[in-house]
Amino acid sequence: MRSLGRYLLIRTLLTIPMIFVLVTLVFLILRVMPGDPVKSSIRPGAPQEYIDEIRHTLGLDKPLYVQYGDYLWDLLHFDLGTTLSPVRGQSVAKQIWEHFPATLELALAGMFVTAVVGVGMGAYAAHHRRSVADYSLRLYAIIIYAIPVFWLGLMFQLIFGVWLRWFPIAGRISSLAMAPKHITGLYTLDSLLTGNWAAFKDSMMHLALPALTLGLYLSGVFVRLTRSNMLQILKMDFVTAARARGIPERTVVYRHALKNALIPIITMMGLQFALLLAGAVLTESTFSWPGLGRFLVERITYRDFPSIQGAVVVFALLVASVSLLVDVLYAWIDPRIRY
Amino acid sequence: MTKTRKLREEPTSLMGRLLRGAYWYGAEWYWTVTGGILLVLIIAITIFAPVISPYDPITTVGGPFERPGGGQVVLLAPKDSGITAVQKGLKVAVFYNTTAAIVAEKYGLTPRPYQVDKDLFAKVRAGEAQAVLIAARDAAQALADHQDFVQVGKPFGPHFLLGTDNLGRDILSRLIWGARAVLAVAILSALFSAAVGVPLGLLSGFFGGWFDRVLSLIMDSVYSFPGLILAIAVAAVLGTGVVNIAIAISVVYIPTYFRMTRSQVLSIKEELYVEAARALGAKQREILGMYIFPNVISTLVVVFSLNVADAILTEAGLAFLGLGLQPPTPDWGFDLNKGKAYLPRGYWWPITFPGMMITLVALGFSLLGEGLGEILNPRLTEE
Amino acid sequence: MTEPLLQVEHLTVTYETRQGPVRAVDDVSFTVYRGEVLGLVGESGCGKSTLGMALLRMVRPPGRISSGRMIFQGRDLMQLSEGEMRKLRGRHISMVFQDPMTSLNPLQRIGDHIVETIRTHEPQVSKKEAWERAAQLIQRLGISPDRLKDYPHQLSGGMRQRIMIGIGLALNADLIIADEPTTSLDVIVEAQFLDLLRELRDEFNLTMILITHNIGVVAELADRVAVMYAGRMAEIGPVHDVFHRTLHPYTRGLLASVPSIRLEDGLELETLSGAPPSLLDPPPGCRFHPRCPQAKPVCAQRVPAWQEIHPGHGTACWLYAEEEA
Repeated sequence: MRSLGRYLLIRTLLTIPMIFVLVTLVFLILRVMPGDPVKSSIRPGAPQEYIDEIRHTLGLDKPLYVQYGDYLWDLLHFDLGTTLSPVRGQSVAKQIWEHFPATLELALAGMFVTAVVGVGMGAYAAHHRRSVADYSLRLYAIIIYAIPVFWLGLMFQLIFGVWLRWFPIAGRISSLAMAPKHITGLYTLDSLLTGNWAAFKDSMMHLALPALTLGLYLSGVFVRLTRSNMLQILKMDFVTAARARGIPERTVVYRHALKNALIPIITMMGLQFALLLAGAVLTESTFSWPGLGRFLVERITYRDFPSIQGAVVVFALLVASVSLLVDVLYAWIDPRIRY
Repeated sequence: MTKTRKLREEPTSLMGRLLRGAYWYGAEWYWTVTGGILLVLIIAITIFAPVISPYDPITTVGGPFERPGGGQVVLLAPKDSGITAVQKGLKVAVFYNTTAAIVAEKYGLTPRPYQVDKDLFAKVRAGEAQAVLIAARDAAQALADHQDFVQVGKPFGPHFLLGTDNLGRDILSRLIWGARAVLAVAILSALFSAAVGVPLGLLSGFFGGWFDRVLSLIMDSVYSFPGLILAIAVAAVLGTGVVNIAIAISVVYIPTYFRMTRSQVLSIKEELYVEAARALGAKQREILGMYIFPNVISTLVVVFSLNVADAILTEAGLAFLGLGLQPPTPDWGFDLNKGKAYLPRGYWWPITFPGMMITLVALGFSLLGEGLGEILNPRLTEE
Repeated sequence: MTEPLLQVEHLTVTYETRQGPVRAVDDVSFTVYRGEVLGLVGESGCGKSTLGMALLRMVRPPGRISSGRMIFQGRDLMQLSEGEMRKLRGRHISMVFQDPMTSLNPLQRIGDHIVETIRTHEPQVSKKEAWERAAQLIQRLGISPDRLKDYPHQLSGGMRQRIMIGIGLALNADLIIADEPTTSLDVIVEAQFLDLLRELRDEFNLTMILITHNIGVVAELADRVAVMYAGRMAEIGPVHDVFHRTLHPYTRGLLASVPSIRLEDGLELETLSGAPPSLLDPPPGCRFHPRCPQAKPVCAQRVPAWQEIHPGHGTACWLYAEEEA
């Protein structure tokens, strides 16, 4: 187990350059690329002194390398600056923190849908290779990937929300007064923890369509990943050996083989997490889900440059930490791997 | 078994080869062909947009939210009025801001629009107008309700196959013209990405060393970042316009080309014929150009096709978030953004058709790329 | 020793490939008697491994058993349902695979492999009982019972191969098919493993089909030997007869290519000229004729019939047949 600890340390250290590159990239995009975020954030015709003042408070009047140094220094202290508009002077970090649980809740629920649908269908397709079901599922994987996630969401809203009236189509909960006591910030979990059944039911109803949308969007990728992994595993000797021992086919495929296939799938989840976040941004906008993605898009319309920068940096940190987490998980699950 | 069994012969006719492809590659072959057909159709649409588009995509040609198949209007006059044809200057009662109101103007009739009061026939009976102009699809019911009116002439006016949007613009025309914008942005961005990513990948893979390591770290980091969010950030700074959006999207996909090219170069570099060329004294530049680049091309075709599909989806996503092309340029994603607001009222057609188009075009490129990928580079798992 | 356990008659396995059907096993017949070790030898690609899988009816698509009968303990395996066949696998016929490194589930403990097999076929056995049986068993195989809790990657190749045998023994399988069980072991481990097999054969009265390309292994362990060439059976007989009264020219070539057996006779080490034929487009007549030093014109025209030359020792070769007009 000591070697696992060492691996953890090394892996964590390896994440640092990646975070550094991403953070630098955000800086380059937002400050060095042509286009002035401040000018575009202010109504045309504003007095030059006003613009200069804002530039000064943001430190944009300093030389670039000083800006870059300040930027990194602030990030080290988790200081994401203060907002410009619609209200000036609020802490960006605090606002992001408030929006984060909604995104987390959606992402987890979406991941759950994906895991159930994608992995299940992928395993089934591999098991029944070259059957009609296999070809249909492969085609499903391609088609679902080609469907824009926000359009999928709109169609669900139309069918299940407007026509059938089964689910609400916007927000996380019917009224803020109904929201459960803040523990984790995930409404479904908090309402469950506090035994608030009305809020639980309501937040689950609100979560259903966005989670289904996001989950199905990603499921195509997982059908393919699971299928190709399963095909490789099913060709391995130990699968043949298990069959030769008379182990029932179902057990061989869904216990022995699938368990082995899941390990590489977990690592690939790391890369798919980026896709999940991108999907979440669009899903949040579709369902007026008050998460980080909607926050980012909303602040873009306000041209609130510090919030944009903060949100993008947080997304970068999320990606880096999830990829770290997944690798650690992988090392922990697979008995063969000890670094 | 005393005679040598003959191996199946390769067919030589074009049709034979096509069928042969299906036999060899199975589903992938049909995918490729379907994708190809879809793309040919889409490209034909973009080229012939001015000819096949029934209306101008950015002007109001009917009432808002005219249902699919609607647009035609019909003139109903009192039986004893003596009106036998649609004549200029005729005073007609119409509902305010409907296709009928717009068509009336266009055909030289004098419209009397009513907004609140719903009974147009009462207005005619009261002498405020000479006839009623209503949607053709409502005519039968209206005539049954008002036996003292008759239909004058045939239905006339525009025909909106897919209905109209909130501004009374023809959705079909917007779809047709929108294909141009989407394809332009997607293909342009894919070209940008390839133009940057492929050379960098070639150099990085070929020369190796610290240059390769630093570049790979950067590319891997960008690759791991959610593409859409990156594009949002770039688009937020650059602003709108076809080229700007294309650049914003291309930033996302440069690493895809870089990684693909680099790994190809690394594997090809080791192959014997490149070693042989080197031993024969070929220059680095010659090896790159003559041996490595041609090998990368076949994979590039596949990646490019898949990349255009991704770019289309990213463009649509940006447009849906309001960061795409600026109106009045017809854009599917933007139409979805606008249509979303009217969805709770049950207007399904402004959001259904643009989404279908995005899916179809992305699907066309995906199928083509997937199919070609399987055929050009069959994976062992599919043996 | 004379009671037949398994009779294979005219077994043919066909693979449907893009270029056309390939008969990997072509009209093969042989008998396995209870308590004997039958060595099945041939070059790689001659169909011997396919034959092994066919005996369990586990030929994977695009391959299939296209004709023939396999009478096992009086029942034709071809007539059994898939469910009946599954119950037979592991319980009555057990298989040991070539590569012990890959033939155990990497995520399953050693003990669970054995316990799962026992409980699949004997559901009435409790987990605890099964675990105890597994412990006794691997102790007999020379492995400490506390290794049962280990994962496969923690065991050496030799240990794993013993575990594979152990899984077969766990249910007292009537027939063990060992497909190149020693190929991936190093020489010393191989010798130990062969010793173990010999002990087990005597102790448990094992019946075994030993598939190998290594004539040396056959000489050490087998009672009888069957030689395959290009999907067909070339020669079958008691080991001593086949080695010393060799009938088929292919067997002779095969023996000559092994250093330890024949060099003492002063013969030169030979290798067979040419390569085995493509099964996609096999030569007509006897498939060995293009490489055969004693080929006659008829060899290229007609397939030689099977003939028993000495009691229990037969071959398919024109050298021993009257040519018919």
